[in-house]
Amino acid sequence: MVNALVPETAERTPRARAVRSAVAGRVRHRRRQTVVAYLFLAPVLLFFAVFLLLPLGFALLLSTSRWSGFALGDIEPAGLDNFTGLFADGSTFLTPILTNTLLFALGTVALALTGSVLVATCIDRLRFQGVWRTLYFLPIVTTVVAVGNVWKYMYEPGGLVNGVLNAVGLDSVAFLADPDTALPSVVVVQAWASLGSAVLVLTAGLKSVPESYYEAAALDGAGPVTVFRRITLPLLRPSLLFVCVTQFLTGLQSFALITVMTRGGPGDATDVAALEMYRLAFGYGDWGTASAAAFVLFAVVLAITLAQLWWFRRTGEDA
Amino acid sequence: MTRGRSTGRRGVPWLSYLVVATGAVLTVVPFCDMVMTSFKGPGEAGTLPYRFLPRAFDLANYRAAIRQLDLPALFRNSVAATALITASVLLTSSLAGYALAKLRFPGRDFVFRLVLATMMFPPFLFFVPHFLILVHWPLAGGNDLSGRGGAGLTVSIAALAVPFLVNGFGIFLTRQFMVAIPDEVLEAARIDGAGEFAVWWRIVVPQTKPVLVTLGLLTFVDAWNEYIWALLVSTANPDVMTLPVGIQLLQDHVDPARTTPIVMAGLVLSVLPVLLLFLLLQKYYVRGVMLSGLK
Amino acid sequence: MTRPRRTDGPPDRRPPHGSPRPSRRHFVLALPAALLATGCAAPHRGTGRPGDPIVLTLLSHYASGELKEALRGPVDEWNATHDRVKVRTTAVEFTDLLTTFMVRQAAGQGADILHPYCLWNGQLVRAGVLRPAPAEHAEEIRRGYSAAAVGAASVGGRVYGYPTELQTYALYYNKRLLRAAGVDGPPRTWRELEETAYRTTRRDRYGNTLVQGFGLSTYDDSTTVGQTLALLNAAGGAFVSADGRSTGIDSPAGRAVFGLEDRLVARGASCPGVNVYRAFPSGQVAMVISAGWWTGSLRSQMGADYRDVGVAPLPLPEAGGTRATLCTGFMLGVNTASRHPREAWEFLRWLNTERTAAGKGAVATRMSALQVSAGSLTGRADDMRALLGAGGGKGAARDPNLRPFLDALAYAVPEPNVPGAQRAKSLLRTNIEALWTGRRSVEEALRLTRRQVDQEVARAW
Repeated sequence: MVNALVPETAERTPRARAVRSAVAGRVRHRRRQTVVAYLFLAPVLLFFAVFLLLPLGFALLLSTSRWSGFALGDIEPAGLDNFTGLFADGSTFLTPILTNTLLFALGTVALALTGSVLVATCIDRLRFQGVWRTLYFLPIVTTVVAVGNVWKYMYEPGGLVNGVLNAVGLDSVAFLADPDTALPSVVVVQAWASLGSAVLVLTAGLKSVPESYYEAAALDGAGPVTVFRRITLPLLRPSLLFVCVTQFLTGLQSFALITVMTRGGPGDATDVAALEMYRLAFGYGDWGTASAAAFVLFAVVLAITLAQLWWFRRTGEDA
Repeated sequence: MTRGRSTGRRGVPWLSYLVVATGAVLTVVPFCDMVMTSFKGPGEAGTLPYRFLPRAFDLANYRAAIRQLDLPALFRNSVAATALITASVLLTSSLAGYALAKLRFPGRDFVFRLVLATMMFPPFLFFVPHFLILVHWPLAGGNDLSGRGGAGLTVSIAALAVPFLVNGFGIFLTRQFMVAIPDEVLEAARIDGAGEFAVWWRIVVPQTKPVLVTLGLLTFVDAWNEYIWALLVSTANPDVMTLPVGIQLLQDHVDPARTTPIVMAGLVLSVLPVLLLFLLLQKYYVRGVMLSGLK
Repeated sequence: MTRPRRTDGPPDRRPPHGSPRPSRRHFVLALPAALLATGCAAPHRGTGRPGDPIVLTLLSHYASGELKEALRGPVDEWNATHDRVKVRTTAVEFTDLLTTFMVRQAAGQGADILHPYCLWNGQLVRAGVLRPAPAEHAEEIRRGYSAAAVGAASVGGRVYGYPTELQTYALYYNKRLLRAAGVDGPPRTWRELEETAYRTTRRDRYGNTLVQGFGLSTYDDSTTVGQTLALLNAAGGAFVSADGRSTGIDSPAGRAVFGLEDRLVARGASCPGVNVYRAFPSGQVAMVISAGWWTGSLRSQMGADYRDVGVAPLPLPEAGGTRATLCTGFMLGVNTASRHPREAWEFLRWLNTERTAAGKGAVATRMSALQVSAGSLTGRADDMRALLGAGGGKGAARDPNLRPFLDALAYAVPEPNVPGAQRAKSLLRTNIEALWTGRRSVEEALRLTRRQVDQEVARAW
């Protein structure tokens, strides 16, 4: 309901005064709104100042300092020593740690993407899509501690996976104990756990493909493979990009699953950059190198994300 | 539950059923294995040949898990941290989202870009500085004004929640929904003499309830399942240990012959509340994941 | 058994930490204030009120099993007999111990008394966690313990704590398997060791190993690195140089050890993937190098079969060489951040040097008695002789297999404990595993270990 008071007051006052007071009112109103807006934003801005800007500055400071103690007064400037130390001859940061990180992320994305495209296109033809999706969703709402432990147990010699292998006449595999199979084994779990959200995003993408495209293709007598390659895949590009970028981001930085399942072992077969950073800081008290490692990983994450965006944009008209 | 689009096109899609069902089985089997193992007796788990079903459905492992875990404390900590995080994210997101969507003020674009930029920084960048900031929080946990001498915020449950109290994505999400509220509705209320706070509380919040439920659910699940930060804070102060951390600790600890079943029992107990909540509210949750895709 | 943080000391009479949840209903609006208010309770310290006892916290890895029980005895005794100073023990699993020290120290919640693995001493001293022992305590420690124990508890020539649990390495062998292969006694030289290993190895017709001649196991640090370092010491080598700034692994001694292990794996006498802790007790391993604590678990695991187990000093590369082996250990030190260092040292002296009757006429320190009761040793040779000689106590003290470990106290070399030692050990382990799995040759493994460890220990200074 519109208030009738406003036009009334305007009518009663002389025109010039009305304009002036209207302008003054608007200024006052705007100033008041500015104050209110910043009041509403205050908690958020305060938080970002204390828990975003301050930590970033602190991390930058630490990454260029030597600090092996715990007293703030002991922080000494060290230039870029921490960064050069990470890449010095004999340092394990580049290989195997960064390599492991990339392989972990790449493996997860490849598996989750293939799996989710397959499942999403199939679900799209079925009844009760909601029920199916819910099933695929269970791992996502489950804590990583549960996921990691259940799979760790399933990978054991007396666990489910080896039980199935033995039942079909195959030899047992020491999945997590063998340095050659440990990383792929963890990748499978990470992909398993992230399949649900990828399926969800892709089914949404499929819904947006107009039915008429399929009808036209059917009239042309195109087989299902052709339809998939010529119509579904190209139109799914934005969703694929989305899944790709987000899964890569997660894969590059997540180490909770690895902490739970292998603690980076055996040896350093599953050691990834974020885990190494955590260990450098909280195991060895080497805050400087840990912060430097975090920034290097951040640079890698940023570079890979931008590269994906650029690549998708270049190869497709819209992304 | 939409009807499959091509059922009319090509009869029953057997192959698709096969693929989807296989995937679903692969997804669900580990959960079944978890539940089955949680009932297995001593010497039954981890021995060859593998058996899926337990010999008897015995609740002994659950009793052992409850006895060894100090579940009340773990639950209390998890609930407190999760509640604090969820409440704070909802509150700060809807306040900031409203300001960014519906109020006009200098610096709005800048703040909005800042919010978007915060989503860019990965959490691992902040582990070390956040921890040290909490430790050196002035006037807390025995610290002096300069943040030295004590344990800072790490002595309190707040330490579990503090780094997650504001969420850039949450602000972005609520703002996008609040933009869609017609300005006339708000203007009318203002003319009625309602202050901005009243407008926000009486009109904007009720209108954006669905998105707030979605955001709340996403935040709840993430906070409940959070492990790495909770592990760090609990290492500093075991009194604030959360469920995931406690259960992970359990596994190095008990009699090896019964470890696995007891751990599984503990896991079932910790996973159950979230699973139930998800099944009840899955519509909202699914939408949240579609909107964020950040999982 | 309960959660590892469970305490064994006197009931905790401090007020609980600040009630962490704001109690008002609409607490969301009072969030910032609530956050500030929640943290204001003081951390783990005494109440500070005059007249109340000082509470010393002790953090160890004795979280479960025999040692947890064994430590409880003397601590209860102290608390019962001392009114002014009480001791409260807390424990975490060994795998979490170093991280727990570091994180709690960073959080200003470090325990008053720490029980670190001596390998970490360099790191902890450099980070300013450990307090040097006061002169009179240092004197007492130097006088009372074997050289290896004192060395492990010292950094840069300064003593930092009372050595407690001490482990020396020796050769375990299965008498039955050796006899079955026609070998009379345990090997004394590396050549004998290799021959015995090849002769005792048995395979089935599919090529599966039934008996490993010599157990090299990647199971954990002490099986992987411990064995290798013990052999390295026996060959007269050292993992880290005297000044602590470089590694001596890339040396003739190191080459000899890596070469020996490489041959054993290549010729099938060792299967590194097998968990030797499980395989040896079930008679699937003829020989393995391990530490003294294992006698206790073998005794309880193997039952009557334990009579087949023999222990011999570590074989030397050549007959008649100088004996040497590895020694690792723990010590009890005092936190620099402790507000009651004098009381803490006093308690440690009471626990570690005051002699009491330990049953059957043996007189020993409380620490020695508790370690021996759990099947372990301390660096006090006189105590050990008294306790083991008296033949009293439980089965542990009567076990002749403990003798070689005790004798080794005289010649064992402490594990290097320079800053960065834990990292260096992890790097060595990775490279040993790569050698054993055939992914690196002896020369490559030596070169890479040297490069990695040199970089690591240099950075840690």
